[in-house]
Amino acid sequence: MNEFVEQFLLEARELIEQATGDLLALEQRANDPDKIDSAFRAFHTLKGAAGIVEFEPMARALHAVEGVLSGFRSKARPISPAIIDECLACLDQVTRWLDDMAATGELPSGADPVADAIVQRFSTSDSDASTLPVGDWLERLSAGNPGRFSEARSALRYVPHADAFFRGEDPLALIEGLRGLISIDLTLPDPAQPFDAVNPFTCAVEIIALINEDAETVKRLLSEVSDQIEVHAIDAKPQAVSDLVLSPLARSVLEAQILLLREPGPNGRAARAASAGLVSINVLHHAGLASAANSIAGALNDADATSVITAIERALQRKTDNVSSERSETARTASPAAARVLRVDTARIDTLVNLTGELTVVKNALGHLAKQAQDGLDAKGVTASLRNLQTQLDRLVGEIQGAILRIRVLPMRQMFQRFPRPVREISASVSKSIQFVIEGDDTEADTAIVESLFEPLLHVLRNAIDHGIEDSAQRMASGKPSTATIVLRAFRELDNVIVEVEDDGGGVDVDRVREVAAARGLVAADTLAGMTEADVIDLIFASGFSTAREVTDLSGRGVGMDAVRTAVGRLGGRVSIASRPKIGTVIRLTLPFTVMMTHVMTVEAAGQVFGLPLDVIVETAMIPRNLIVPIGAAAAFTWRDRTVPLVSLAASLGLSSYIADVGQARVVVTSTGGQLGAIEVERLGGRMDVMLKPMDGLLGGMKGVAGTTLLGDGRVLIVLDVQELFN
Amino acid sequence: MTLAKTRRVLIVDDAALVRAYYRQALEQAGYHVDEALNGLEALEKVLLHSFDLLIVDVNMPQMDGITFLRALRNKELPMSAVPTLVTSTEAGPQDISSARAAGANYYVIKPLKQDALTELADMLCGVVA
Repeated sequence: MNEFVEQFLLEARELIEQATGDLLALEQRANDPDKIDSAFRAFHTLKGAAGIVEFEPMARALHAVEGVLSGFRSKARPISPAIIDECLACLDQVTRWLDDMAATGELPSGADPVADAIVQRFSTSDSDASTLPVGDWLERLSAGNPGRFSEARSALRYVPHADAFFRGEDPLALIEGLRGLISIDLTLPDPAQPFDAVNPFTCAVEIIALINEDAETVKRLLSEVSDQIEVHAIDAKPQAVSDLVLSPLARSVLEAQILLLREPGPNGRAARAASAGLVSINVLHHAGLASAANSIAGALNDADATSVITAIERALQRKTDNVSSERSETARTASPAAARVLRVDTARIDTLVNLTGELTVVKNALGHLAKQAQDGLDAKGVTASLRNLQTQLDRLVGEIQGAILRIRVLPMRQMFQRFPRPVREISASVSKSIQFVIEGDDTEADTAIVESLFEPLLHVLRNAIDHGIEDSAQRMASGKPSTATIVLRAFRELDNVIVEVEDDGGGVDVDRVREVAAARGLVAADTLAGMTEADVIDLIFASGFSTAREVTDLSGRGVGMDAVRTAVGRLGGRVSIASRPKIGTVIRLTLPFTVMMTHVMTVEAAGQVFGLPLDVIVETAMIPRNLIVPIGAAAAFTWRDRTVPLVSLAASLGLSSYIADVGQARVVVTSTGGQLGAIEVERLGGRMDVMLKPMDGLLGGMKGVAGTTLLGDGRVLIVLDVQELFN
Repeated sequence: MTLAKTRRVLIVDDAALVRAYYRQALEQAGYHVDEALNGLEALEKVLLHSFDLLIVDVNMPQMDGITFLRALRNKELPMSAVPTLVTSTEAGPQDISSARAAGANYYVIKPLKQDALTELADMLCGVVA
């Protein structure tokens, strides 16, 4: 494991999400070239990442998948559902590996057989490579083993006879048994050949190997197949590698420059030749062969490729007593187990940096002012400057606070993109056809919300699929399309983030809810009779409620919507439901944009101070009493052409109001869930930013209170839940 | 010959992890490192800055490494003859020969170990050991 593991885990998960999304899209439109391309790229990048953390089995498995996807990419043949399933299964396995790595901090053990199984499944339709030209096998070998090439003294290519098996030869065993074998690569001469066309009785393979043994010895050891092998001495002379000034890698690079110089294509020829010359000169300088480098420089001036090639070839033949030094291994320190990592847009960091800069300016101004005061600036001047600085500081601290909060903000996409997969599986398991739509996934919310909303939302979605959507026969009967639609959407509303799950199913069966509530004794029978439809529907959030006629595998797990309400409540949010029979259901999660700070305005009623969350306050106003009309037990007034219900804060809290019957009522106009309301108070206070602490323990279930915070003088400020005031 | 720390390398790869991995090795070896996420970005960088070596991935969105190399060598820019190291996960002979036809000086197959990378970079840039 190396220090890149942390970043690897982060990126790999993103790539898995991307690949999953693309594969699911391909399921809808099997030959969408963009999606195939994108999925291919995700697997490809994932494979590269696995290589960097040296997780070879994962790289091998992904390579197999990539090969298959690449086939679809070039052939524009639609990808089959079976292959999509296999790809998804492979991603599942990778996810398990990642979880394992995250938990243990080490590469998963026993990954090899699993990877082999994946490679096996994908091997029948592998690779779009075409036939191998023979000449470049050495280059393939050196490119494939950049590090090990330098250890080798000879390179071997062995193409066994087609009837090798009948001659009693075992080519692979022969090579594997070679003394000093460093690496071995097998290639099919014609990988494009369809699997069915392969004759298993013929031997059709090319073996290339690096061997730490001189060429003569290798030839002698393989004398029985001498007509089928080609041995190349990497170390041209029988001395040890260290006798040569040019390392095998340097030789390989120089040889590549010769090939580049011989490259026939006319386009960009001058630049290619110039770069080959430059590289050759550099390699020779690196090796300490300045004179050879100079002779190439001279040949380059002649602008003649052949003379450059000759100069390089001459350099390749030279040897001196110099020893090419082995590079020392770079010590790598393993990183400690990863804490939580947050990805932050650099623009947001820049904002912070700028603000810090401004803060420094204010700090310096303060120092300057202190000196002025020391030098006898009058109190009035000091006060004025201080006030000025205080205003600046106030603004800056506010902005820094905001900027820091925004660092914690993530787009919903990070969570939303995890849903298509489970939705697909859930709908398949109950045989319902569902179109899953995601809207507003760029809506941002606090990290805490984005990260902890997955489970509750999954439960809501499960419910929608399992209970909300009717089966297709029922849907046809009510004239709906047989494919149901479920929309998961997010949007901002003032300082709230709203997340909705909307389905076009049958709506909540109110009678059934009544029945269950009565049967389970959730509500007394007479109370139930008097409840409005909305109140009854709201009972699905009561703990111990479940309407599934039979406990299904999916949602009938004893945790119901009450778990959702609790989870959302923990985040300072609220769940509500709107249902219309035969048309569908909307479950709405109203969440605060940030969970850290709440802006409140203080108000007074019955001589006590209360806080109202500033995000629900639209306006404060003085309303002449004669414009307030009583409506039943409540009251309302017209405000900006809208009728607004009015409650007295003191009265609704059961306190006796101190208000003398003055001509005007002081009201705070609020908006919650799109509903306007007004609260009459005795006095308006200031605004402040507080860390809201939810009520817990015995007071946990108390309605109407959003939470508490401490005031500067040690008193407890109760912050009210405005929505509850109007219920 | 100038000192190693003045060498500038441009890493062209769409995978952030790969860029970070290369960058760390190269910076430790004293290189100044710049990054581009695809061939198009690399072309822009090459127009504006000078480099001693380009390390180019093949498979990238928008503009792949081969197209980029071809454009680089064809355009007769001041940077057209810069040494280029192509790194790719593809090991097929076709891949290697098409990279060379486009003008790659050397081709290595990923994953490329950090020490192998710095050794190659030192060679291709002519750093005197």
